[in-house]
Parts: sequence; structure tokens; C-alpha cells
Amino acid sequence: MKKIPDKEILLFKSCLVNVEYPGVESSTKFVFDKLGIEYTISERQSCCTGLGHYADLFDQFSTTALAARNFGIAREEDHRNIATLCATCYAILKKSANILNTKDNVRRQVNKIFDGSGISDLKYKVEDIDSRDNIFHTTEIIYNKADKIPDLVEVDLSGFKVAAHHACHYCKVHHQDTIGNPRDPMVIETIAKACGVETVDWYDRKTNTCGNGFRQRYMNKDLSFSVTAEKLLSLKENEVDILLHMCPNCQIQFDRNQKVIGESLNTEFNIICLNISQFVALAFGADPYKVVGIQTHTVPVEPVVDKIKLINPVNEV
Amino acid sequence: MNTFKIGENTFELAESIIKDLKASDNLGILKCIQCGMCTSTCPAARHTDYDPREIIKRVLDKDETLIKDDIIWNCFYCYTCHSICPVNNSACEVNQVLRQKTIDNGKGKSKIAPFSEYADSYLESGLGTIPSDFFSDLIKDYGNEWIELKANLEEIRKELSLGPMLLPKKDIEDINEILEKTGFTKRLERVRRCKDEKDTR
Repeated sequence: MKKIPDKEILLFKSCLVNVEYPGVESSTKFVFDKLGIEYTISERQSCCTGLGHYADLFDQFSTTALAARNFGIAREEDHRNIATLCATCYAILKKSANILNTKDNVRRQVNKIFDGSGISDLKYKVEDIDSRDNIFHTTEIIYNKADKIPDLVEVDLSGFKVAAHHACHYCKVHHQDTIGNPRDPMVIETIAKACGVETVDWYDRKTNTCGNGFRQRYMNKDLSFSVTAEKLLSLKENEVDILLHMCPNCQIQFDRNQKVIGESLNTEFNIICLNISQFVALAFGADPYKVVGIQTHTVPVEPVVDKIKLINPVNEV
Repeated sequence: MNTFKIGENTFELAESIIKDLKASDNLGILKCIQCGMCTSTCPAARHTDYDPREIIKRVLDKDETLIKDDIIWNCFYCYTCHSICPVNNSACEVNQVLRQKTIDNGKGKSKIAPFSEYADSYLESGLGTIPSDFFSDLIKDYGNEWIELKANLEEIRKELSLGPMLLPKKDIEDINEILEKTGFTKRLERVRRCKDEKDTR
């Protein structure tokens, strides 16, 4: 398995986490602190272009140049291990690092642009960032410390049945770097089990895309929702209470659209969507509103909070 | 059915895709044996006429009508085909390159024009955002709470003790300069023009 770092980490902010589920970032920070992960955040880091890139708006060269700038910032911050909150950032940055390391003409062009823009200090040198050794998903950083999790759990969440949705852009784009089997990933389940909950390890459509499909959700909604519905129906059949995520785009798809998809199928799902960091933070006793940020969710997370209060009356949550 | 002249490079389209910056190293289009693993796992193939195996066949047949065929816009970019292909081919990446060719040829610009505000926001703040043109549809599906969240975002982020979202001014200027020099700003102007024409039509 690839070597996963626990220090010199640049926690790479995500445009969708920022505005949709900011609690994912605060939960990750909370969990990293508890697990003794050393990290920093840079206000200079720009967005990876992901949504625009996969909406075909950004060309590969521009996306790569912007990644090179962010890599330069990671180097200047002395935190070269990048950990992303979003699966698309993960895939985009890995691809860009591969291009910058192997395509000399692209690297030269990017560096020439940086020279001409007064940011020579951010110029990219071969192997500044290695796709496999320096770019990770935050979930992998937590997975690497899974054996430390049981001792830190303060809240009993064992009453919930959880399943995982491993994002396609984590599992499938750079599948050779995915932890475990990309066709049956268990990264999220392993973390959830360490928190002491029952997990549905396999369900029909487990490796399906969320259905967002970048442009599809906006331009081709019926198609997008038919794919999302397949998975929601399977989760319902398996009586899943909580679906655990590692990508804000997938989380939006299942959380925000769940009600309207349910209505079209004359059913109700009530499947709570949480990022795995939010779930671990809850298990570690984090405040649901001030850390986990459940107030920005569409499917109410309150049933989890109520149950926590009921079974853990000592915890003032 | 295409007919080819003797000596004609029938793999011209495939080779131009392999050479594209978007294509992964050793992209195996030419190794495709039409096994159909891609189609059997493709979400778009399950619900539409889109068929990744057929896309690859047409590329190998140098069928250039593919570039103008709306079918390429059904791919989800989920990379499922890419992750299971036995010969390291990727219909997903092939589609991405084909769409760029369509955009370069003109027709595809109207397809991406609805997303242009994402790039406007990127140039303004260094962060992409969901274009506001989609908001009324999204509110219908997401509920009013979603727009309330947008209004209260700053307050919520403060409650969560999160740092600033927006980049410092100097960094935004650097990003604008980079994107000017990569040719992106010009590309965006052309896409925007396409959107404006559509809006006034």
C-alpha cells in the first residue's frame, strides 16, 4: 500500500465544501487534531477548477497551470503533502502532477508564464510533487490512523446502520493509487467500523456514480436522477440510516436531491448524508452545530443528534 | 460505413486523441478489442442510447461525425469504464477530448456556455461557484432552506471557526494573469459571447 503521511500536510480547501457543507472542513480539522495530524491551511490556495474542468469549460493546460501554482504554494508553506476534502480535487491534482512531471514542454510553458507574471518563486521543478507520494484524500489520512480511533470515541453511534459511497474520482480515475480494491472499496467502512458502528459492506450499485455527472445534473436532470435513484433504492432496501461520503459533489447529489427524487418515485428515503469526517467528529464528541455543521444539510441530521442525546445523556450535545 | 483509401491513416482520429494533453499516458484506444466491459458498467448506457464501446469503434473507424454527435454529451465522467478497461483504454477520456474538439470547432461552445459564470467567479475570487442561472431550478428541488444557507453562510462559517474563503487580492491578480497567458480568458470570452447570443435570441 502507498505510504500515507501524518505531517507536513496542506489541507486543500474545496469550493463546494466552502459553500455547501463547511462543516466538512471544520470536522476534518477537529478529527486531524484529535489524531495528532500536523497540517496547515493556506489562504492563497485556489480552487482546483474541478467543476469547471469537468463541465468542459477549463482546458487541461489552464487547469494544470493553476495546479502548478498551488503546488508552488504547498512547497513555500513547507507542507508538500496535499490532502483534499473533495474527490475531484484529488483526481485533478494527481493528473496535473503527472503532466508536470512527465511532459517537459508543458512544464516549461507553465514556468515561462510564471516568470512573466512575477511569480517565479512558484515555478514547478520536476518531482516537486509526486502524484502517489504527495497527493492524498483526507479520508486516507484518517484511514491510516484507524487503529487510534476506538480509544478516541466518546459517543456511541452503534444504533445506526451505515453504508459508504466512495466517490468515483477517488476510486476510479487513478485506480492504481486507490487503497484496497477500487471495485469494492472499503476505506470509509474501515473508519466507520473503528467508530463502532455496523456497516453494510456491499449493496447493489455500491460502486455506481452518484449521478451528478457535472453537466448532467444541470443540463440533463432526468438522466442524472435516474442514476441517483438506483442507488437510493438499493440503500433503502438495505435499511441504511446514514450514507457516508468523501466528496461534496456526491453529498449534494444524495442530500439535496433526495426529497425530489423520492417524490418522483412515490417514496421517502430519509437517508442522512454525512462526510466520513463529520461522522468521526460526531463519534469523537464534536458539537453538531459548531463543528460538524449539520445546519447546512437538507436531509435533517437531527435524528442522529437526538439519539446521541438519548443514549449518551452525559454528553452535553 | 466508412470506406478508406489505400495508404490512408485510418487511425488519425484515434492518434490525435492519444496525443491530447487530456489523455492519460499509454491510453489504449488502439488496443481495444470491443469486449464491452465499458458499456456493461456505464450509467449513461443503462439509461440512454450512449454506448462507450460504440464511441470507441467510431473513433477507430475515423468517424469524424462523432465530433458533432450529441451522444458524446451523455457521459457522466464517472471513469467507471476507465477503471475497468483491460487494455487501459478510457471512453471517459476519449469523450473529454472529443468534446474539446467540438468546442474548438464552434458547435460545442453553446453546450458549455451555461457554465461560464463558474469561470467568472474563478477569475473574480479564485473559487468556482455553481452558476446563478441554475438557482431557480435548484431552489425548486432543494427547498428554500438552501437559499437561506447562502444568505447565512458567512455567519455559519464564523460559528464553525473557519478561515476566509476568498483569496488575497494579489493572488487573485496572479491567477488572472496566468489564465490570460494560458489563453483561457480569450476562450472564456468566446464562450460568453455564445451565451449572450443565446440570451438575446
